Amino acid sequence: MFMIRPGLSIVLFLALRGVRKHAFSSFLAIFTIAMAAGLFLSTWKINDETRRAFNHSSSGFDAVLGARGSKLQIILNSLFHIEASPGNLPWEQYEIIKNTKGVKEAYPIAVGDNYLGYRLVGTEPELLTHHEWKSGHLYEIQAGGRVFSPLAKEAVVGSFVAGKIGLQVGDQFHPYHGLNFKEENKHRDIYVVVGILEATGTPADRVIWVPIKGIQLMDGHDKSMSHSLSAVLLSLKGAAGFSLDMKYNKQGNVATMAWPVASTLSSFFDKFSWFQKVLELVAGMIAIVGALIIVLTLRSSMNERRREFAILRCLGASRQVISSVIVLQSLILACFGAFSGFLFQYIIHFFVSYIIRENTGVLMHDFSVGIMGAYVFGAVLLIGLASGVLPALQVYKAELSENLKQNT
Amino acid sequence: MLHISNLKKGFQRTGEIFLPVVSIDELVLEKSKMVAIHGESGSGKTTFLNLIAGLLVPDEGKIYLDGIALHELTESKRDFLRATSIGYIFQSFHLLQSCSALENLLIAMSFGGQANQAKAKEMLDLVGLKDRMSHKPGDMSVGQQQRVALARALINQPSLLLADEPTGNLDAQNAQNSLNLMKELCASTGASMMIVSHDPYVIHAFDHQVAWDDLNLVSKHQTCS
Repeated sequence: MFMIRPGLSIVLFLALRGVRKHAFSSFLAIFTIAMAAGLFLSTWKINDETRRAFNHSSSGFDAVLGARGSKLQIILNSLFHIEASPGNLPWEQYEIIKNTKGVKEAYPIAVGDNYLGYRLVGTEPELLTHHEWKSGHLYEIQAGGRVFSPLAKEAVVGSFVAGKIGLQVGDQFHPYHGLNFKEENKHRDIYVVVGILEATGTPADRVIWVPIKGIQLMDGHDKSMSHSLSAVLLSLKGAAGFSLDMKYNKQGNVATMAWPVASTLSSFFDKFSWFQKVLELVAGMIAIVGALIIVLTLRSSMNERRREFAILRCLGASRQVISSVIVLQSLILACFGAFSGFLFQYIIHFFVSYIIRENTGVLMHDFSVGIMGAYVFGAVLLIGLASGVLPALQVYKAELSENLKQNT
Repeated sequence: MLHISNLKKGFQRTGEIFLPVVSIDELVLEKSKMVAIHGESGSGKTTFLNLIAGLLVPDEGKIYLDGIALHELTESKRDFLRATSIGYIFQSFHLLQSCSALENLLIAMSFGGQANQAKAKEMLDLVGLKDRMSHKPGDMSVGQQQRVALARALINQPSLLLADEPTGNLDAQNAQNSLNLMKELCASTGASMMIVSHDPYVIHAFDHQVAWDDLNLVSKHQTCS
């Protein structure tokens, strides 16, 4: 039994009765508001989190040396293992950059083959044994495995790939030519899985690591491949990036130095900023529809409750009490809408994270909405308040005698 | 005590015709007294009760209830006075359909000051609805609904009970029971009662009877003309 106390309790009681009595339209209003809030928060959060996650997923490298072409393409191909390589570099370029002052680490990579759609990345074993993919973190091989030998047909499988296609230590497989899986492009070479990488939440999880010689000398590859590579992953010291940028990008025409990684990625995301704006616009329009539904719900509720309001006035309820019931009813709908919006955002984020992880290996684990959540909640409450004010004013102005005439 | 003097109320109709409805020189209802006003339907009796209840504002005249000048009060003060000092029973009861009998009483109590569940239950018990407290009006008989309306009207212990054709929807037996109950409860709480009806049976149940046409000058004039 609902215990009614004077003041706010009676207003809350009557407002909740209004929500319950018009359950379907209330649900519709809540759902629409939730969609708008959820979509807006998701758009913002996914953009923010994607930028953050990608910037933290450059596997500890500061720059990439690649064939002459787009910096972004080089980074996406070499660090995120998406997109095609813009071309190959002669092996000598690796030798030169490795011995350049200011270069702390340099690891050559070669790509061009896959196994069931997952890329084979040829590199030196030191990448997996000496390189910190995150400050203070070396790659780790799961128990019972080891890193491949540089001259053997051996592979270390990323944890995501291992989980997806069930490769285990000791398994053998034939690589397939190209970055996309086509059954007819099967190489004759047979590789043995010698280790599974521990998960890192970076693109390293969704590739198969093999010796670079394995890619260069793969059966069926052009002989010229044996002395070329796709890119060189670099860790730099001090301000070496500026001088290398000058040397390769502004004065040279042999290779492209993709540096710095963060700003290049930022320019990549900026290209999609229009899409974010479109989604925000859509969210805004849905919010307007939500507000309209609240107004319609309240108006329809008012028409049906005209008799109820007249009775309440007869019992001594003031105009303010009746108007407050309408405003509170609107705020309740908005409040439920906002909370459902957070839930909606989590669901969208969960699926988008899954898709991004499936396609890039980048792990987006931060679902919190922070201060933006508070802003959106406040905005939704304002929408609720604004939606409720007009019908409430209408009720406030209504003459009791007119309603009585209709009901007596 | 209720004291009314020079009370006038009319309504502007379409075509700028002003229609006078109520015009009363003087009426006094002493504390704990009961009076029945009888007259034809549509002759302005309900408007008269609405003026006393503060639901309508008089064009002229004065209404004093327990010494308070009702005609001088602001609307919010009239609302509060209606919640605390006036009980009103409507012909069609005007119960809140989505609320139970108990909730109907508690809501009325909350406007009058403080809702007290024990007191509300006691009142429903008093009108014989102990087993129907959680029932909604739609699940009750007409007689039971009328008793809920009576309990609600008296729950805040008003000094004046107004009843507008309270037995209009009841059969003879229920009407008799209802009138007896109203009189008993008013007598026990010391409330004055003003009942308006066109039903001679109801009128004869009261010692003090006033003909609306004698009270209302508008009716007199209309009759004369």
